Amino acid sequence: MKALAFNPEKCIGCKLCHLACSGQNEDQFNPRLARLNVVYAYAPGELKIEGHTCNLDMACIKACPTGAIQEKNGRLRFDENLCTDCSLCVTACPNRVIVKKERGVGVCVQCFTCANWCPTGALTFEEVTN
Amino acid sequence: MGYTGKILRINLSKGLAQSEPLNEEWAKAYIGGKGLSIKYLYEELEPGVDPLSEDNKLILMTGPLTGTIVPNSGKLAIAAKSPATGTILDCSIGGAFAPEIKYAGYDAIIIEGKATIPVYIYIEDDRVELRSAKGLWGKGAHEAEYALQEELDDARILAIGQAGENLVQMSCINSELYRQAGRGGIGAVMGSKNVKAIAIKGTKGISTKEIRKFMVWMNKLKREDTMSEDNMWAYTDGTPMIVELGQTTGTLPTYNFQQGTFDGWQSIDTEAVKKVRVAKKGCFACALACGNYSEMGKTQVEGPEYETLAMGGSNCGISDLEAVIEFNRLCDDYGLDTISAGNVIAFAMELTEKGIHDFGMTFGDIEKYLEATGLIAKREGIGAELAQGVKYLAGKYGGKDFAMEVKNLEFPGYEPRGSWSMGLAYATADRGACHMRAWPIALEAFGDLDPYTIEGKAQLVKDLQDHNSAKFSAVLCDCWGLSEELQAEILSRVLEREFTVEELLTAGERTYSLARLFNEREGFDRKDDYLPERTLTEKLPSGPSEGRVLPREEFEKMLAEYYALRGWDEQGRVTEETKQKLDL
Repeated sequence: MKALAFNPEKCIGCKLCHLACSGQNEDQFNPRLARLNVVYAYAPGELKIEGHTCNLDMACIKACPTGAIQEKNGRLRFDENLCTDCSLCVTACPNRVIVKKERGVGVCVQCFTCANWCPTGALTFEEVTN
Repeated sequence: MGYTGKILRINLSKGLAQSEPLNEEWAKAYIGGKGLSIKYLYEELEPGVDPLSEDNKLILMTGPLTGTIVPNSGKLAIAAKSPATGTILDCSIGGAFAPEIKYAGYDAIIIEGKATIPVYIYIEDDRVELRSAKGLWGKGAHEAEYALQEELDDARILAIGQAGENLVQMSCINSELYRQAGRGGIGAVMGSKNVKAIAIKGTKGISTKEIRKFMVWMNKLKREDTMSEDNMWAYTDGTPMIVELGQTTGTLPTYNFQQGTFDGWQSIDTEAVKKVRVAKKGCFACALACGNYSEMGKTQVEGPEYETLAMGGSNCGISDLEAVIEFNRLCDDYGLDTISAGNVIAFAMELTEKGIHDFGMTFGDIEKYLEATGLIAKREGIGAELAQGVKYLAGKYGGKDFAMEVKNLEFPGYEPRGSWSMGLAYATADRGACHMRAWPIALEAFGDLDPYTIEGKAQLVKDLQDHNSAKFSAVLCDCWGLSEELQAEILSRVLEREFTVEELLTAGERTYSLARLFNEREGFDRKDDYLPERTLTEKLPSGPSEGRVLPREEFEKMLAEYYALRGWDEQGRVTEETKQKLDL
């Protein structure tokens, strides 16, 4: 299975990954809709660079009481019809990258559009074992 | 598509915020950003308004590309009547504020009137609040931004420092600490309205037609065009690479433009900056990341940019990079434009050295130079006078021949005697001596064109001004050197209609003449398109441009040719015929 990996040393904080994710999966641009969270921010005396991405650890699948989130061929799948809007997956995600929507949630579906857009190679998709 | 179709108008005097429709006819003619903000100001400001009164307006204008995935589309135009020059003033700031305006549901925010007490404006979609800035007023822009970030979590912020609060004519507006709408005292306009900061969050999405197809096309373009070899200097070096270009062409301002080369240049050039670079930083949606986050001694800064290295480095006789970095950080925190601050400090140094007036500082005096930033921002000690700029100082003490300004805006970091086209660019820039309206030196002294001839230069400057006016209206960052054809194609796709190169360039030309009409209405004409005597008559003493001036008669010929190309009369006034042609 392949999942996203983040290299802070290459990140430039452009958020093109956020835009790519929201455009691809939500048909609109707004970085807040992205199913990953790259932080590139100044704090007093330091520069904070963090990348929170889905690493396919399946905590959301375990937390979901109705089976609305499943893994198939190494990708997460979300079925809105089964979702009861309980948000247990949102809090269970150790990376905090599941987006609560008006109806249902947005999970990373390993489309890797974000990595394809990353101009510096800070985001890649790498083999993971779970 | 391309526009939300809504403008947020905030009247601080009345405590009212209302949404209104975007004027679509104006948007069609002026695109957005620079052009559209100038149009709104031209239509809405009475001639002669005091720029620091409640009658001035502060406009935050996005463009049709803002908030989309188009690379390098994250910048914001901020416009008002300038307190420094009395002309139209539009600035451009990076960071991530502009897209947030779109996500909140607006194309622009127009701020009118004056708050009765210091406030910050908080906007979250349809919710608009004026909140007390009691704890923030008097603080540096950095401290204010940190405090708001802590309080508001995930908001985008514009803030001013003490310089803006104290209505200093070289005060800027900051975002993400180190990005500035820098020139012409735009920070003082915000300060005069009692607004310390503006914070915004937007939760709405914006779209484009056939979004996935658009993204595939755009990503290819990003790889092949945005990130092509021609533009990657921004990533590998950023603007500090210009120091060497300036030095080797004799155009690096040194000792208040007394020289065009600097002995200590290698201590402040791109290689020196690279050694202290910690990270590269891009604005929102930027693939080129020109920003260099640097750390030296106890000081961190995103920068220094070329303009700061030149105006706060060589021009003040400072070759200590750590001092320039500290100067940069201080100016950013106080909310001062590093260009005008460096220029006025250098002028004071020359006045002191020449015995014209003793400001207690000479070239290379690091301690006094750093101290001056705070004094200017707070109008204390010598800062009370320096805060009024070089033209004021020259009027009071003398040295008019080497007060390097046009229309009361101080020269940026290019020596026109070694690049004659830059002289015309400074003289004819809509907001006073500016390198962002046209940067012909890139093709001339730094390129293949002969820098010591006026031949073809009027056309060159006009073309670049039109090109940039359109680009800053779209809004795209100047780091992406894209063709007009490509820019028109991107606009066609986002606007979902045919947008031709001709339409693009006409919008640029129209914008430039409208800015001129604004200034004309304020009493500006040929007499204000001057250059200082030093540029016209004092020979450069050394370097590759040794012995050069920009001869007065050549300058005047070039200016006359430029007016003719623009369709302005001999006094530099827009003719009726041109008004008709450009639909003004």
